[in-house]
Amino acid sequence: MIIENEFPPYFEWLLAAGLTPGALWIWLLTNFLLLVAGLLGSFIFLTVRHGPAKSGDLIFKALAGVTDDVVHTSPRRVYALARLAVQEALRRRVLVGFMLFILILLFAGWFLDPGRTDPAKLYLGFVINATSYLVLFLALVLSAFSLPADLQSKTIYTVVTKPVRPSEVVLGRTLGFAAVSTGLLLVMGLFSYVFVVRTLDHAHTLTADDLAPKAPTEKGLVPPNKTGTTARHRHVIKPDQIELLAQEGHAETEPEQGHYHEITAVSRDGETEYRLGPPLGQLRARVPVYGTLMFRDRGGKPAEKGINVGNEWTYHSYIEGGSPAAGIWKFTGVTRDGFPNGIVLELSIRVFRTFKGTIDQPVLGSITLRNPTKPNEPITLKNFRAAEYAIDRHEIPAQFKDANGREIDLFRDVVSDDGELEIEIRCLERSQFYGLARPSVYLLRREGTPWINFAKGYVAIWLQMLLVTAFGVMWSTFLNGPVAMLATLGSIVGGFFVSFLQNLALNKSLGGGPVESVLRISQQKNLTEQLETDVTSAVAVMLDKILRIPLFVVSRILPNFQELNDVNYVADGYNISGDLLAIHLTTGLGYFIPVMLLGFLFFKLREVAK
Amino acid sequence: MQSQAVALDAPIAAEAPVGTDVVIETRNLSKIYRDFWGRQKVRALKALDLVVRRGEIFGLLGPNGSGKTTTIKLLLGLLFPTSGQALVFGKEASDVTKNERIGYLPEESYLYKFLNAEETLDFYGRLFDMPADVRRQRTAELIHLVKLDWAKQRQLKEYSKGMTRRIGLAQALINDPELIVLDEPTTGLDPIGCREMKDLILELRDRGKTVLMCSHLLADVQDVCDRIAILHQGELKELGRVDSLLKIRDVTEIRASGLNDAAKEEIRSVIARHNGQLVSMDNPTSTLEELFLSIVQDSEARPGRRARVEG
Amino acid sequence: MNRGALVRKLVYGLLILALLLPLSYFSQPATVAVGNQPNQAGSPGGKLAQLRTQYGISEANLGEIDAAGETIKLATLGLRGVAANILWEKANTAKMKEDWEGMRAALDQLSKLEPHFVIVWRYQAWNVSYNISVEFDDYRQRYFWIKEGIKYLQQGTRYNELEPRLIYDVGWFTAHKMGVADEKKEFRELFRVDDDEEFPAHDRQLRRQDRRDNWLVGQEYFEQAIALVEDREASIHAMNPFVFFSQPAMCQIDYAVALEEDGVFEEKARLGWTDAYDRWIKYGMREVPTSDNLIVRLAEEEAVQERKAKVIAQLEAVEPGLRDKIAGEKRSKLPPEVRAALDTPPESRTEEEHQLVYGASMSILVLHDEVAKRVEKSHREQAQKLAAEANRLEVLENVIHRDRDVVNYNYWRNRCKMEKTESALEARRLIYQAKTDYDLARLVPAQQEYEEAFRHWRKTVDEFPQFIDDTIGAESIHQALAGYADVLKQLNTHIPRDFVLKDVLFSAVRRNPTGMDLDFIRESFEGDPGLRPPGMPPR
Repeated sequence: MIIENEFPPYFEWLLAAGLTPGALWIWLLTNFLLLVAGLLGSFIFLTVRHGPAKSGDLIFKALAGVTDDVVHTSPRRVYALARLAVQEALRRRVLVGFMLFILILLFAGWFLDPGRTDPAKLYLGFVINATSYLVLFLALVLSAFSLPADLQSKTIYTVVTKPVRPSEVVLGRTLGFAAVSTGLLLVMGLFSYVFVVRTLDHAHTLTADDLAPKAPTEKGLVPPNKTGTTARHRHVIKPDQIELLAQEGHAETEPEQGHYHEITAVSRDGETEYRLGPPLGQLRARVPVYGTLMFRDRGGKPAEKGINVGNEWTYHSYIEGGSPAAGIWKFTGVTRDGFPNGIVLELSIRVFRTFKGTIDQPVLGSITLRNPTKPNEPITLKNFRAAEYAIDRHEIPAQFKDANGREIDLFRDVVSDDGELEIEIRCLERSQFYGLARPSVYLLRREGTPWINFAKGYVAIWLQMLLVTAFGVMWSTFLNGPVAMLATLGSIVGGFFVSFLQNLALNKSLGGGPVESVLRISQQKNLTEQLETDVTSAVAVMLDKILRIPLFVVSRILPNFQELNDVNYVADGYNISGDLLAIHLTTGLGYFIPVMLLGFLFFKLREVAK
Repeated sequence: MQSQAVALDAPIAAEAPVGTDVVIETRNLSKIYRDFWGRQKVRALKALDLVVRRGEIFGLLGPNGSGKTTTIKLLLGLLFPTSGQALVFGKEASDVTKNERIGYLPEESYLYKFLNAEETLDFYGRLFDMPADVRRQRTAELIHLVKLDWAKQRQLKEYSKGMTRRIGLAQALINDPELIVLDEPTTGLDPIGCREMKDLILELRDRGKTVLMCSHLLADVQDVCDRIAILHQGELKELGRVDSLLKIRDVTEIRASGLNDAAKEEIRSVIARHNGQLVSMDNPTSTLEELFLSIVQDSEARPGRRARVEG
Repeated sequence: MNRGALVRKLVYGLLILALLLPLSYFSQPATVAVGNQPNQAGSPGGKLAQLRTQYGISEANLGEIDAAGETIKLATLGLRGVAANILWEKANTAKMKEDWEGMRAALDQLSKLEPHFVIVWRYQAWNVSYNISVEFDDYRQRYFWIKEGIKYLQQGTRYNELEPRLIYDVGWFTAHKMGVADEKKEFRELFRVDDDEEFPAHDRQLRRQDRRDNWLVGQEYFEQAIALVEDREASIHAMNPFVFFSQPAMCQIDYAVALEEDGVFEEKARLGWTDAYDRWIKYGMREVPTSDNLIVRLAEEEAVQERKAKVIAQLEAVEPGLRDKIAGEKRSKLPPEVRAALDTPPESRTEEEHQLVYGASMSILVLHDEVAKRVEKSHREQAQKLAAEANRLEVLENVIHRDRDVVNYNYWRNRCKMEKTESALEARRLIYQAKTDYDLARLVPAQQEYEEAFRHWRKTVDEFPQFIDDTIGAESIHQALAGYADVLKQLNTHIPRDFVLKDVLFSAVRRNPTGMDLDFIRESFEGDPGLRPPGMPPR
């Protein structure tokens, strides 16, 4: 699968990885800077109104008050308020959201095409996205409108005249709504999983006629034997499998749309019937072990990267065929205990042809294994034909014969004593290229449980929901309902476009900033056209320069919702690792705490009554 | 203005009930409402000085918009004073810990309509951090006290106004408060309900509670309050014991019949000579209502002045 | 206060009603006639429905509304343009990141959102069939994605039933993308055995085995597109009408070529070419409106020329010698150096003189109208009529000539005529046979077959000399010549000096030396004066 944003192990991420500072320090620094900026801003503002002494006093009181509130927060009161929020939500809006979800699932068939090449990916992506949008929307509505509604109806009067601290009101709401959304998410997740499994489930008919040898076409081509059509596809059954079926009574179909079926022959009343099992291999949770990737250039020298063949997208780096150029992955922790049955190697590489070459044959390459401590004793595993846009599985048993027929013991001869192994991929055809990226080659440690992985994918949605709720409650402490919703929506949308905002803030975006863009639209100029050299353009560019400062701040503050999304892992059938999950959870917490504190502060500083 | 107020307060303080504990104190308490742009909209309360002592029933009296509710909200910390101070049990009104000892019944019972009576009381009990058994006990007692046993499982949205009022009172009492703040306690109640409410207030006083209530229903105030403050257009117009306020008034009233214009003029001059002020020469006023109305008239005629009706 | 609120509500209600009434009038859907009850004839619907019908975007007949599309439109709450923009961007990003399925999904949503935006269908289908398909290394996957593009187009035709350009594109993709690619052999074979029920362009239920050829299927689609224009007056917008109408015949030609490349000869090839010729002639007879507001038949160029000559002759006959007289007058007005330049024969003019002649060419031109004007009064009216007719015919001739060039009309007419001759068919067959024999290392039969083929070809080019220097169809003959050379080389002999196709061979060498063993040819024709034509690299 494509992993564009690679992540380090959890503690490296948190504390430090090489030269990049750990997330924790960045978090602390950002919060510190924001705190200083906030204090300075409010001090200046208040000084204008009340003079420096009073404003210092006010700020100190506010900070002391928030600290006091946090220290004295009572779990029982928070629980009571959270429970109230749950009751309110249940009685008001949640069921509507759930009904909507069921409706969407019911009508999903309209939008989804089961005839796609990978329906499992499509369906998983769909349910996860649908759930996430719905839950986020619900969290948005619940959180943004609740406090304002309470203020409007003045029910809040009877609450805040009890010994309830503002922090408890804010936290209670947030947790209550989060609990509701969590419950909803659980139910939706369950329904989604059942929906996916049930929709993908199908069988094909298979008759003796289907298995009979076909007449060749006028060009002498023999059409393959195929099962009947279900879910808009058929499976080919290869001749050896037909033979196997005749001899042993069971066989397998060829894969189609990412799955295959088992066939069993059953005799009934002297006639043989063929039954196909459920689709297999559709929902997966591969647990990969990634290595580090180094390249060798065409001169045989080590290189950081391969060649760019002119793609705008630089994810894959290319190596030239018929030259010493290679991609070399180094894996650690390859032990006999970890891989008792040998290694399963999976490749997903790209091919770039500079000429058409042999049209009906994929480009040839080779897999070489090497012990890092014995770099001069490479063992050529085999040559292979590239399988583009597919996962190409190669098994390396503990004992195997290499390409020259030598007997090799994997762990004795190939893997180093401390469990290190190098795998080298080369392209063998001259002037053809292989495209490689670090995640293109990995060792398959084991198969995870699909539904657990599915659940892990929902954790990311859960975190998004939690943040939306926190933002919603925070904004609603001082804005009225619709405005709070817009503010929260702005936070979410901004969160989904963080990388775009960062580009804007760093002036890396084509077509300039917002003001310049407006100008371009009005002048009907495209992104790359030169602006006219007049005052208007100059002013626009200058305004954008100023706007970049708030944009920079915002892009650094908002949570990156896109990164908090693991739908690809689930849809592509890859396990979401513990590290990734921990990083997500920590990130979520990192946003939750300051947003809550802000909420406390805002609610404390506002007048509850009008 | 300040000196005037002090001078006026002096005799009243002497008449205050025994017991020196100050429960509520406001010092120069002012509230200005501003609009979105920070421009002044309404001066809702102007330099209010009040003291309420332990064990008394204190009434805030005034027409709609006179600043009674604002005063209560300031005392409860629902609003922040523009200037001045509001102290409850010697603590700033914004300090939530004071709420431990306060019970508040808002103007209309702002309660969660989707809860039933028991859930409501249980919820508010939790807000006082009460343990479960205490909550259960208090809930049962209070529901009994406000006579809602028959309807305790029904959601509040099914309650009549009177019932809502009663459950509102019950929630105000959940923590057995020392100070009870009642905003228009009898509105929406039928005559019997009114009577019961008043009896309950008196009973609470007898149990040593301090009660601060506001109302525009003079009869309520007259019946139960020990002392009252009359507010109009955000200003304190009158403050004192109900009986003495009415009594003083009787004394200064001029009642006569068959006077000709010359005689009237003569009386006016006599009053003027004694630095007095002729308030009315009409029919006699004998109730709080009359007092109240005259204050209102006076205030509207000469805004910004403390009423001087006693002369 | 309450009364004010009531009045306000009433006013709002009335306003809403006032807006709803025209809305319901405009958007009332059309209904289809129910069964055989004459009084239940379908209503044409409101104004919007009628406009939809008029523009052929009427999927919204009750009962056939595309629910998904309508839902998406509703869900965007009027921000359809914004949503479409985002989807377009999403499709582009997905394409950049090689997420083909993601791109296809975005395209599906996009087309549901803006189903009547024909450019989107055409552009993105092209993207899928031409740009995405080549990203795949496996030709079967390439075929799959070409099909995806075609399927996408066909989805578009369902939403835009009066849009011939979409059907035209279906035809184009099916015919040309499958039939011209480097992988055409593989693609055509995959197309032939394709049993994809979702691929409407194939439609194996209805099509006979031998009609399952991408060229013939493409041809059917082109014919459908033409039928839309003919029967339902659909517009082809800015497309060149001559190219548009030529496609069915062109497909037939390509089909015939493909047949011979596949080694199918005899009756089938003959029929293929005969049909191609007939279709081309028929195409020439089609009346096509041009951008000059003329209606033109391509086949009529010769006839127009003839008529023009006749009319001009009549004009000359009215007052013989008048044109020359006028020409003389015009010439005498020119400066002497120009006249001198004109008198110099073109081949011996200097550069300067060429320019002078060019500059003067307009001023010595004698227009028909000028001739007519000078005619004696009694015949002047008649002469002016003739001049006008001559002018008209001249314009017509130019237009036809230009449009013939656009579609290479003459070449294809002659080519078809040539290919359907016995000798051409036989030559093609023998060349194929020779190639097969050569591949099987049967050199002597291969040589014989080549020579036999070239004798037949000699006959053909004698009949159609323009094919000696053929640029389009020559590749196969060039390959045959190269193949023949290979055979001879292996047999250790040379091309005979009296080689029957010497002129064609030399022409081929002149044009396209790659793939030909020039040394071998040079050895064979040592000293032949025709050997060193211009362009042939020296030894």
